[in-house]
Amino acid sequence: MKTLVLGLGNPILSDDGVGIRVAQELRSNLEYEGTAVMEASVAGLDLLDLLTSYDKAIIIDAIQTREGRPGQVYRLKVEDFMATQHASLLHDVNFATALELGRRLGIPLPKEIVVFAVEVEDVTTFNERCTPKVAQIVPVVVDMVMRELNVE
Amino acid sequence: MASCKATDAVYHVDPPPAAKKLRELFYCAHMVHSHIAHFYALAAPDFVLGPTSDPAERNILGVVAKVGLEIGSEVIKHRAYAQDIQNVIGGKATHPVFALPGGVSKPITEEERKDFEEKAKSEVEFAKFSLKLFNDVVLANKDYLALITGDIYTMKSYYMGLVDSNNRINFYDGDVRVVDEDGKEIVRFKPAEYLDYIAEHTEPWSYLKFPFLKKIGWKGFIEGRESGIYRVSPLARLNAADGIATPLAQAEYEKMYQTLGGKPVHATLAFHWARLIELLYAAERLLELSQDKEITSPEVRTIPTATPDEGVGIVEAPRGTLIHHYQTDSKGIVQKTNLIVATCHNYPAMNMSIKKVAQAVIQKGQEVSEGLLNMVEMAFRAYDPCFGCATHTLPGQMPLEVIIYDSQGGVVRRLSQSLPG
Repeated sequence: MKTLVLGLGNPILSDDGVGIRVAQELRSNLEYEGTAVMEASVAGLDLLDLLTSYDKAIIIDAIQTREGRPGQVYRLKVEDFMATQHASLLHDVNFATALELGRRLGIPLPKEIVVFAVEVEDVTTFNERCTPKVAQIVPVVVDMVMRELNVE
Repeated sequence: MASCKATDAVYHVDPPPAAKKLRELFYCAHMVHSHIAHFYALAAPDFVLGPTSDPAERNILGVVAKVGLEIGSEVIKHRAYAQDIQNVIGGKATHPVFALPGGVSKPITEEERKDFEEKAKSEVEFAKFSLKLFNDVVLANKDYLALITGDIYTMKSYYMGLVDSNNRINFYDGDVRVVDEDGKEIVRFKPAEYLDYIAEHTEPWSYLKFPFLKKIGWKGFIEGRESGIYRVSPLARLNAADGIATPLAQAEYEKMYQTLGGKPVHATLAFHWARLIELLYAAERLLELSQDKEITSPEVRTIPTATPDEGVGIVEAPRGTLIHHYQTDSKGIVQKTNLIVATCHNYPAMNMSIKKVAQAVIQKGQEVSEGLLNMVEMAFRAYDPCFGCATHTLPGQMPLEVIIYDSQGGVVRRLSQSLPG
């Protein structure tokens, strides 16, 4: 099975880069064939390009919810993103729409997409590091992804 | 690309011809992908499904359901072709890593060139198809044509765009040319001179600034030749130029002006038509450059030798003129920067366009339906805006207050964050 681990985010906007940080840690852990690890700062139709031809995708990204506490991690499915603001941008379609379009057009997309969304504190300060509460959760998310992949 | 040209200027270095051609080839691919995405994902739903259709269907999924899966696949395929070309030349399609002061990081191989040539031929055909679709779905519909040419979506302004030495549009390089509401050139300048011609007004209610022509002055949010407000965009580029350098796009350019009653065109919804004409130009230029013998030259960099200090780079982004201006120390570390992006240039006009449509379609006593609100949005959507690019602030916080008023002017609610004090 071909699996993609994809860390999304903006690496210079503090906690927005948490997905990228997790992917960077994972790259050194995942040495066996079949699992690709990528970092990307894209959304919408650009995500379709990255997901094509994989059987499973694990996406790691930042999230901010009304009641969440920084450092919490949610394991989500695509259906959970039907009404979210930052899965979309002004030049493109949102994540759920892009995936639905891809499926309707018969593009070979992963049968299973799991999203590890990390509740973050700060996505507006220019910084190449995450805030402390988010930084200390990175190894935990790495471990969660490894377990998702059934890797020791 | 504006950044890369600005760094050429900062280091006082001129890239070799092959590097400029590679940059332009990359950039035409960028225009192709962006214009395809905007037209099919954002603009087409309003016309294929209708401006007041059910929002659950008025999106790219609805477009594909109506025009067919095969066309949907062609949209994705040709967008991907353009991204592939950018990926090969630039290292990455989004956030490319190939541009250096004085050139680019690597040449392309003959095998890559041949691949680009085949993809470019397909892009030309797809662009022709897209224009035919626009003709059959939009222009052949007299209600849509009336909407495009109607007063509520019309705004007279100055128009700005990059032109080559023959006054034809060029996305990558040239002089900045501004024409008035009759199409007459009123200013023309080199990138380094932009501050002599453009100034920015500010309002306390927005982080975005309001550029205007210095020669005319800021007269407020009014249209016409007495106002310094100008527009950028695909339509502005075509208005500011005397033509297009590639034959198929030139023919479409002539057809648009003939259909809409001559030049310049002031119809905001015609931005979409102009965008498709530019798609065809970008595809033709992509093909030309991919067939250029020099495009595989290994000579792709001139190493800078001068001490860096200051420079300006201007290109035409998909949405309009993009200005990057850097001042550096002697080591090339940026000390000061000024960016004027397309959405910023268009911000005064965008506000006016939205207001004009809103005042026309929302009448007292009439139910404000989602369809009517969408018609207001269409005025905004034509500009293909990017507020993330246009609203730049460095402190890392965003003091913001939103006040919601009722129809009598009473405050309903206040929302705020990071306000001082």
